[in-house]
Amino acid sequence: MEALDALLSGFGVALKPVNLLWGFIGVTLGTFVGVLPGVGPALTVAMLLPLTVKLDPTGALIMFAGIYYGAMFGGSTTTILLNTPGESASIATALEGNRMAKAGRAGPALATSAIGSFVAGTIATVLLTLLAPLVVGIALRFGPAEYFSLMVFAFVTVSAVLGSSTVRGLTSLFLGLFLGLVGIDSQTGQPRFAFGIPELLDGVDVVVLAVGLFAVGEALYVAAYQSRLAATLEQMTGSIRMSAADWQRSWPAWLRATAIGFPFGTIPAGGSEIPTFLSYATEKKLSRHPEEFGTGAIEGVAGPEAANNAAATGVLVPLLTLGIPTSATAAILLGAFQNYGLQPGPLLFDAQRDLVWGLIASLYVGNAILLVLNLPLIGIWVKVLAIPKDLLYAGILVFATLGAYSLHQSWVDLLTLYVFGLLGFAMRRWDIPVGPAVIGLILGPLAETQFRRALSISQGDASVFLTQPISAGFLAVTAALVVAPWMVRRLRRHWR
Amino acid sequence: MRRSAAEISLSLGVLALGAAVAAVTASLPSEGGYAGIGPNFMPGLVAGGIVLLGLWLGYEAFSGGWRGAPPEEAVARGEHAFHAASFVWITAGLFAQMALIGGGGFVIAATALFACVARGFGSRRMARDAAFGLVLSLAIYLFFVRLLNVNLPAGWLSPVLGGAGI
Repeated sequence: MEALDALLSGFGVALKPVNLLWGFIGVTLGTFVGVLPGVGPALTVAMLLPLTVKLDPTGALIMFAGIYYGAMFGGSTTTILLNTPGESASIATALEGNRMAKAGRAGPALATSAIGSFVAGTIATVLLTLLAPLVVGIALRFGPAEYFSLMVFAFVTVSAVLGSSTVRGLTSLFLGLFLGLVGIDSQTGQPRFAFGIPELLDGVDVVVLAVGLFAVGEALYVAAYQSRLAATLEQMTGSIRMSAADWQRSWPAWLRATAIGFPFGTIPAGGSEIPTFLSYATEKKLSRHPEEFGTGAIEGVAGPEAANNAAATGVLVPLLTLGIPTSATAAILLGAFQNYGLQPGPLLFDAQRDLVWGLIASLYVGNAILLVLNLPLIGIWVKVLAIPKDLLYAGILVFATLGAYSLHQSWVDLLTLYVFGLLGFAMRRWDIPVGPAVIGLILGPLAETQFRRALSISQGDASVFLTQPISAGFLAVTAALVVAPWMVRRLRRHWR
Repeated sequence: MRRSAAEISLSLGVLALGAAVAAVTASLPSEGGYAGIGPNFMPGLVAGGIVLLGLWLGYEAFSGGWRGAPPEEAVARGEHAFHAASFVWITAGLFAQMALIGGGGFVIAATALFACVARGFGSRRMARDAAFGLVLSLAIYLFFVRLLNVNLPAGWLSPVLGGAGI
């Protein structure tokens, strides 16, 4: 059991007091920021990235694992009590969770979400531990052509297949790909789209893009369209304790949701949105109390929350083993790796064994911290929700600009941030997804490098992408995903 | 037939971006060594993609509107009408910060931003907001400079802050 050995030495790293401390700080900060209404996991991770610049890579990434999980949990607390899902993955939770809170059962709803997240997160981390070495084994055989085709597959699934509109998803992706071109070409040293501005020569930083789109864009949007609306905050009354019936109804939902969430996380399917809804639908169908759905059924909270966490862990499989981010949050995490000059992928498992397995071990630790920290502290998180909107968004923007400014100590980055904020405002208003832009920014330059490497090896012969079987397979699946829905529509029309 | 001026302008904007990317790409070198493609290949591909997407968006805008887009009327989205003053206050806050951060320092600039954003969200108590902003940005400043060793400009407050971090 090589993986077990590696994991044990990983625990040696993760349980070092200083790393444990970073894990604790990460979970606490992640939950605190994640609870803030309007702040989803991607923004939480992006805003807290500057905190880690002076840490050693292992400590920083362990802190990030904590932030990642904390942000997920914080988001569900907000959803249950405020009914403003910060991100698409929380919509399913909002359906039942907020109704439970309205019926005075906020405590059990928060408890099943916290314990369910722990159960799902831990099982998913076990699966990650077992699966990662296998994927690494396969990935070691990948050459540049295979990587490029895999990235094309990821591009298409995150932008064109999911979401409400193919064309708007692709527009967002290409915007990200364009922004990824800004800076110095890694192959030839040629500056591109920098116009001689030193801040642009470094390229567009993923933190500036993510914070601009998610924080500044969101602040502009909410101020312009929602700041004069009243929001209702459900009060946390009564105990957080779950009754025996609650337990009995929750645990099968947690397990089923883990089975749904984890595989969806590992494939590039845009993160947690689909598995949370699938889990909700499954629970509704299997429940012995279907009449309670719509008025606050606990399975409807337990399932989606567990699915969300299992998918969030599953996302780490392609991120760590292949270096491919399949959600906006994962793209920002990849940016954090790159800040340390680390490129996630099969080689990292070899070169930085301690770091990778320390990180995986800290996922177990992070899940446990989350459980012990959050159930007793729920009362504090609820108070965070009571911060009035005007002070809340003012504080968010101070933090957001801090991250951008600390990159080069230059006001130019603040201007870039504002431009991305305007973009984020427009994208929010006209329903253009922002995730593909963030993924395109991070993954685009990597795809270009692999593309040019593949062509260098083949002496400029572009047919390599189709003659290598694995690469051809990825491209064939990609083409099928694009053409199939269109074909189905055509055929249906034909039969009518 | 529904035809939205905003959707048409946005489609044109995407098209214009594609054209601009293409124009800059034309000035990039193309020599590419063994690969046969140079630093201008990917930009050309991206420019082509953006132009096609702009045309596609424009086609949708002219043929019944963007598919599945949110309703034009704010009420139908459960929101109030566009509140221009809010938008302007937040913009002003961000630009005030840009102007102040170099000379005035992080704390002053962040306090100005904080007060303007709170105003944009409907607060009428600017003095209170500025006080909150000052406390928050001082705390952030001390945390980052003293504990995390991240440089932030002290600016006009450097006599008070001891010029730490500069």
